[in-house]
Amino acid sequence: MLILVDPNNGIPVYRQIMDQIKFFVSSGVLKPGDALPSTRSLSADLGVNPMTISKAYSFLERDDVLERRPGRPLIVKAISDEEQTRQRMDQLREALSPAVRVVRQLDIEADRAIETFRQMLKDQEPMK
Amino acid sequence: MKAIEFSNVTCGYGPKTVLDAISFDVPSGEVIGLVGRNGAGKTTLIRSAMAMIKPHSGAIQILGQDPFVQPELVKERIGYVSEDQILPPFLKTHDVMELHKSLYPKTWDDHLARSLAGTFNLPQNQKISKLSKGQARQVALVCAVAHRPELLILDEPAGGLDPSARREFLETSIAFLNECGSTILFSSHYMTDVERMSNRLLMLHSGRILLDRDMDELKEEFTLTVIPEVEGIDSDLLLDHPSCLSVRKRDDRFHAVFQLTTSAAQHVLEKEIGITGCPTKAMNLEELFVEVTGSQK
Repeated sequence: MLILVDPNNGIPVYRQIMDQIKFFVSSGVLKPGDALPSTRSLSADLGVNPMTISKAYSFLERDDVLERRPGRPLIVKAISDEEQTRQRMDQLREALSPAVRVVRQLDIEADRAIETFRQMLKDQEPMK
Repeated sequence: MKAIEFSNVTCGYGPKTVLDAISFDVPSGEVIGLVGRNGAGKTTLIRSAMAMIKPHSGAIQILGQDPFVQPELVKERIGYVSEDQILPPFLKTHDVMELHKSLYPKTWDDHLARSLAGTFNLPQNQKISKLSKGQARQVALVCAVAHRPELLILDEPAGGLDPSARREFLETSIAFLNECGSTILFSSHYMTDVERMSNRLLMLHSGRILLDRDMDELKEEFTLTVIPEVEGIDSDLLLDHPSCLSVRKRDDRFHAVFQLTTSAAQHVLEKEIGITGCPTKAMNLEELFVEVTGSQK
């Protein structure tokens, strides 16, 4: 698991960490039961304040992505298919929100925007 | 207990006021980044916290005590590194560390000192004058933290260091944080270091506090918009909006900072101010610094 943070990015560092871990979980790089690095070691690796790591981890716990067990490393929580779908849809929604802004700023009709998205999905369909 | 408490502190040199009635406090365990343009008052704030300059008025409490009453008692519990810190050039690293150890006979942690010095490969038998600037600064940091201070104060600790030395210094500070969990107040012109290290930002301008906010909130709740100069739009109109923090005129457009999320700022521009199609973006700390301090007189 390789996490990168960019302090020059307008997104807070704790969020950058959360987003990457969520993505690793929904894309299967991290599997239920996998252990996360300790706050200390991730803080040292990334060169960021340990409180930032704790904050990211607590929010991930709140969001049912990670599970805390007293005295042991945090692990990826096992979740129902329903919950996994919900998490993936949340990520999609987040990724699309800048596109929504552009649609507004360029004053493009909703139907046309949706059709463009549909077409792009079709064009980039994985080979069978 | 608060690690640092400033109440209405006014401070200066002769007739010149450098800090103008500032108040803030730092709860234990926070890492607070102090930023501001040259001459904003950062060093004066730090020196008054260190009881090196007495305020004209107002009160300062450090770790629950008045540092001007019994400075030595407070200083035992603080670690301090300044940009222009001078270590005796003719002494070896080892001797400088021994010297500091003798100043803190009860609290000096040999193990911590050795482990930090080891992590950064500080040559023990080299004279300070033969060390690089970055290494000398690291020796100063190790000496400032090995007595496990409850509060660490760093004044421009990375000033004049090359990027690698700066990163190593930052990593030493983070290693110390992980080890001891102390409160840290540090001033810096390197915004990315401030973002990595601190969870709170204090921005000074002309001796006053311009911003005092949680670091993450700054990124999530402040938005930059670029607004073309058209009829009926001027700085005053924008600044009249309660969430508009600053406006800076650049050629034929305004850079306005709103204390709002990007989508809320978009909404305010369209519905309340009545301009559409203005680009908005979340800002990093450097952009926020330039916009906010650059728009002030």
